[in-house]
Amino acid sequence: MDMAKRIMALSISKLYSLRTQRGGLSLHRSLLLSMTMRAARDIYHAAQLLRDAEEEQVVPCAPDAAIEEPMEISKDSPQTLTPKEVAMKPQEPKETLEDDKENRCASERHSRKRCCKTAVEPDFLPLKKAKMDTDEEKQHLQGEVLRTNNGNSCRQAETLTAFPTNRAIVAC
Amino acid sequence: MCRCCYPPSCPTSMAGAGGGGNDVQWCFSQVKGAIDDDVAEADIISTVEFNHSGELLATGDKGGRVVIFQQETENKSQPQCRSEYNVYSTFQSHEPEFDYLKSLEIEEKINKIRWLPQKNAAQFLLSTNDKTIKLWKISERDKRPEGYNLKEEDGRYRDAATITTLRVPVFRPMDLMVEASPRRVFVNGHTYHINSISVNSDNETYLSADDLRINLWHLEITDRSFNVVDIKPANMEELTEVITATEFHPHQCNTFVYSSSKGTIRLCDMRASALCDKHSKLFEEPEDPSNRSFFSEIISSISDVKFSHNGRYMMTRDYLSVKIWDLNMENRPVETYQVHEYLRSKLCSLYENDCIFDKFECCWNGNDSVVMTGSYNNFFRMLDRSQRRDVTLEASRESCKPRQVLKPRRVCAGGKRKKDEISVDSLDFNKKILHTAWHPQENIIAVATTNNLYIFQEKMN
Repeated sequence: MDMAKRIMALSISKLYSLRTQRGGLSLHRSLLLSMTMRAARDIYHAAQLLRDAEEEQVVPCAPDAAIEEPMEISKDSPQTLTPKEVAMKPQEPKETLEDDKENRCASERHSRKRCCKTAVEPDFLPLKKAKMDTDEEKQHLQGEVLRTNNGNSCRQAETLTAFPTNRAIVAC
Repeated sequence: MCRCCYPPSCPTSMAGAGGGGNDVQWCFSQVKGAIDDDVAEADIISTVEFNHSGELLATGDKGGRVVIFQQETENKSQPQCRSEYNVYSTFQSHEPEFDYLKSLEIEEKINKIRWLPQKNAAQFLLSTNDKTIKLWKISERDKRPEGYNLKEEDGRYRDAATITTLRVPVFRPMDLMVEASPRRVFVNGHTYHINSISVNSDNETYLSADDLRINLWHLEITDRSFNVVDIKPANMEELTEVITATEFHPHQCNTFVYSSSKGTIRLCDMRASALCDKHSKLFEEPEDPSNRSFFSEIISSISDVKFSHNGRYMMTRDYLSVKIWDLNMENRPVETYQVHEYLRSKLCSLYENDCIFDKFECCWNGNDSVVMTGSYNNFFRMLDRSQRRDVTLEASRESCKPRQVLKPRRVCAGGKRKKDEISVDSLDFNKKILHTAWHPQENIIAVATTNNLYIFQEKMN
């Protein structure tokens, strides 16, 4: 679980840094990173579920027991998490990494010029942006053009928050 | 095989290009490039390729330049030395560009160079960056016209009133000048990054491949190409693999292969259909479940595919191994060679420092008996198929004395390190050999480190 978490964190940061790479986004690299991150995420979530399930079993039987049962997968205790890892840790087992990414984005944002929420979109942007939430527009976004972003486009980050992690390739 | 040191004990010798059974010792011949440890990014070599005769050796770099070396005619007075390669031509092939529509910078880095077979006095090569392929003509000029009536020798026009006689201009010898001129520019054929090009044996067409598509071009036609393979899914969310390399069969002009990031190779026959989305053969080896890890997908991605010269086999390179495939057997390779198996336990660190994404190339010798590929710490591996031996050699400035024989290197993965062995943790992962080339006929190899080109040759007795 520790390894899975580390790999997830690494993968996400690498996916982000791909955007600023000279020469544009590498589809091959981002595909491999996404796949690795998905594999790590699945294992992390599975381990998390397992741990939560075991905790639920432990609590009713022994209310005064504060000791976690040793896990096969994980030896971590929550206290050992770094602040970065805490930001990554999902609030609920079912919460997708998309929200984590949002939190992470918020905590690590350094070069974006504007806060990218639909509600505060300026009205001088092209009308096309208003259709971004529709399926048709999503298809358009997932089309051939791979965009890189210097942090100037509201659209970029909007797609980040809109799509779950397994669409990281096209969101880039 | 001993697991704690790589490679197992073996002599340095191996079958030479002249045939099986000859022992070859490799010795240093030349090194090209700056000695500085501080490497300018533009000088990083990105591709190396001999032409069909081996007389010319081309390199491309990240700065978009192509440097061509020419083998000098043999020195009869010094038969121990094979002739050297000296600079023949240098030119700027690609410049950085900006795609304003997509807000994308297009790197000038030369991804691949492929020579065309020589048809006349001039030489032709294809060079490509991420988006544009160019056909270059390299020609020699060793005479120039003199004695114009209307112009001075420096090109200025003469005053007509001063012309009193008429003469016929003549060609006079001049210092050899090698000119490189772009004859064709093939643009706008690719949405994604071009990773390979391959000239057909028909000498009229060539393939170019990006992550999702392969196009067939005619060398004379620049404004259109034919898309032969398209693996782009209707919904990009369903994308699971990309194309990593493509190559035409050396003799069959209708056959080509392309490799994928999933470790598969597809052979396509253009006679079967115009669109080759459906393969004729699929080469795939089942994964060993005991080796499964987070990084299995990455290390199974094929970085290079090369047909053997005889056209019966093809070789693929993935992160840890080289595999030889018989074109008649799809379910597994006929030979597998571990390049640096000691790295398997270090994959997490290699993922962290991005080395796991390095794309190593591989090449065959002239008679397909030996294959070569690069590794880290400026090591490169020679894998002898006929004698089932392998050796690790190093391209290093410390072994640069003329005709100095290269000593085999050994890596110790665990246990007690012997003398002359280097431990895995001491390997320098910034010193990587990604690009190598083997002379088509002789035992001369070109090995590119980050910014230097080493030329090694067989020791002559």
